[in-house]
Amino acid sequence: MLHNFLYWVDMNITVRYCHIICYTALIVLITVFFSGCESRYEDLDLSAYEYRDTKDLIKFVYDASLIVKKDGIRSLQYFKDNRQRYLTPDRYIYIYDTNGVNLYHAGMPHLEGKNLWDLEDKNGKKVSQMVIAAVADNNNPYAWVHYSWWEPGQFYPVPKSSCNFKVITPEGRVVLVGGGLNYPLEEREFVRIIVDDAARLLKRKGASALAEIAHPASKYNFRDVKVFIFTSTGKLLISPVVNDNLADFKLLDCVDEMGHKPFNEALNKLKNGKDSVWQVFLAKNRYERVLIKKSLYLHKSYIEGQEVYVGAITHLPQPPG
Amino acid sequence: MADNSHYEYSVNEVPPLGHLLLLGFQHVLIMVVALGLPVIFAGQMNESPEFTATLVTFSMLSSGIGSIIQALRLPYLGSGYLCPNLCGPSYMSLSLSAAWIGGLPLMRGIIIVAGLIEMALAPVVQKLKNVFPLYIVGLVVAMVGISVISISITSFFGLKLQGDSISGIDIVIGTVTLAVMVFCNLWGNGFIKIYCLIIGISIGWVLAITVNQEYWHNLALLKNCPIFALPKFAMLFKPITFNFSLLVPLIVIAVGSTLKTFGNLLAAQKFSEPELDKVDYVPIRNGIIADGMATALSGLFGAMAVDTSSSNIGLAGATKVLSRWISVVAGTIFIVLAFFPMLTNALALIPKPVLGASMIFTGCFMICAGLEQMLHEDWNSSKTFVVGIALFFGLSTAFLPSLYARSPKIIQAFFTDPLPTTTILAIFLNQIFSLDRVYRKMRSYYRSGKDISQNR
Repeated sequence: MLHNFLYWVDMNITVRYCHIICYTALIVLITVFFSGCESRYEDLDLSAYEYRDTKDLIKFVYDASLIVKKDGIRSLQYFKDNRQRYLTPDRYIYIYDTNGVNLYHAGMPHLEGKNLWDLEDKNGKKVSQMVIAAVADNNNPYAWVHYSWWEPGQFYPVPKSSCNFKVITPEGRVVLVGGGLNYPLEEREFVRIIVDDAARLLKRKGASALAEIAHPASKYNFRDVKVFIFTSTGKLLISPVVNDNLADFKLLDCVDEMGHKPFNEALNKLKNGKDSVWQVFLAKNRYERVLIKKSLYLHKSYIEGQEVYVGAITHLPQPPG
Repeated sequence: MADNSHYEYSVNEVPPLGHLLLLGFQHVLIMVVALGLPVIFAGQMNESPEFTATLVTFSMLSSGIGSIIQALRLPYLGSGYLCPNLCGPSYMSLSLSAAWIGGLPLMRGIIIVAGLIEMALAPVVQKLKNVFPLYIVGLVVAMVGISVISISITSFFGLKLQGDSISGIDIVIGTVTLAVMVFCNLWGNGFIKIYCLIIGISIGWVLAITVNQEYWHNLALLKNCPIFALPKFAMLFKPITFNFSLLVPLIVIAVGSTLKTFGNLLAAQKFSEPELDKVDYVPIRNGIIADGMATALSGLFGAMAVDTSSSNIGLAGATKVLSRWISVVAGTIFIVLAFFPMLTNALALIPKPVLGASMIFTGCFMICAGLEQMLHEDWNSSKTFVVGIALFFGLSTAFLPSLYARSPKIIQAFFTDPLPTTTILAIFLNQIFSLDRVYRKMRSYYRSGKDISQNR
């Protein structure tokens, strides 16, 4: 059979090529064995994230946090000497202490040493305070914070998402190592975090939490994502579209481009014992020929014993092309 | 009689068993690219992993059966060319719409009707000898290659989701893979030349797992896959429905898909039988019938609609290995693989840049075969305008999708994708620009008739 297999092939050339291929494969396998067996990111659970952009940011910040964890405060000099390594057109590293003092910023050195505790973004979000609150939130494993900032030399706001790691240095100091991502793509995990947080807040504080959740400068509202709340009869406590009571808006009767009722379908799923549910629906985008996919996330909660539903809507990742 | 010196294996030749299996496997490597479609579909529908696995299995069965019947020359069924089937993107958006409206029963109904429409259109294609002069045939073949540019390039750059970042490492992997394939094809002999794709994919894959740990870790997930699994046959006994509101888009897409199959089969014929001085429409007709039947069968199975694969035809052209029995073996391997999820998943883990490089490699042959055929005959101004205008508007559908999204409905219906748009426009313009010749013919016919009557 081997004879049949190679009967017409020029044996000399074949043998020579086979040697080259075998030796190359051997070298590659040895390299794989010594280099690729263990990942330094095995401590990170990135399964909730879909975009490479987001995963790369977490790895980027994690690497920086390991340096701070190992070398402590003296690593700040290393970061300052290697700014270009920690600043790319898409992302950058910063380090804060727990009082809001900026210890390092790869892209904005003029902020270093300043207390930014009360610094607000264009929408009134107190970014440093949000970062410190986020690292204490168990529901937010990588302490995501969403806000609006700017880039040096630019004159327009830039939407950002940042992830943060709390690090205890060898000196015993607690610092927050974070990284910002410019123009982030919406991850479903971002929506899950804020909706679950809002549901928990509502359960704890009751109706008094509504104003905090609805506030435009709260963490529950970023970019196009807004948390809304309604009862099982469809009564709106925080509307997803318009707050005017005169508007004739019946949430549970809303249909998507295919005539489906996403809110009704999501509620039916929640009645089967689940606490939270994702419901996909199709929406029209006038600049695209095909319908785009969106997702509704609902989480069950309670206000003074009454069942309510906390939700938000986000885009879903689309295939390329 | 065909001159076999053009080929490593001609269309009717049966390679030795070892070669047959390895060449079949080489084609399977291209076919697994399309398994991403049922996975994307199930993801879009938020379906369970079990549903996804069953959809992939039935799609593989349909593709395998389609590849076999396409290669066998049964009466009125199958072109007898190396032209394997795989899950085509043509029906993806319509299948999604159908599944959204009426779930799997409606999707099955839509795909079955699409297959029947394609089969009904097949005899019409045979009557199109005057509609498809050779230069338009060349244009259609070239457009088949051009239509895979988008998916090839996004894969080459390792892009999985719209708007996501691109890794420099992926570009290196894609470039090395493409270079290996091209060099093996250009300067290799015998074994190296005909297996250039397998060699390129193997080297690219090893390089990928060496330099990018993500690909290495993906392989580690295979240990959770069962080695052998049967699909949920209960899906076959679920109802089949149809919704007439989808009939018009269905017909438009079915015609587009038929034209794509037509282009693929023309390319396969050009590679397999270059000695033909004009198109032989009988195998083309039979090929379209087989493709329609495979599509209907996939609907019956509850699988994604299948289509002929331009990449596989490009590979056949690149390697000069055109034996139709390879398609039979590739189809059989695909059917067997359908019951071995671990193997299927392993093949589906071929890194995207490696797959992108494979698609670019095979697409080159499709585009150039078409251009060569198009420019082979004498050129004139009429052909310049037919091809030029058809290309301007056809390619604009890919360059300017947002423009067409805001255009009137009638324009949106006809200006869909580069391949069908270019084909329809070229056929239409060719008829219009030939009116002067028709007029001259009629006039000379009229005059000759008059002369005869005067002589009497």
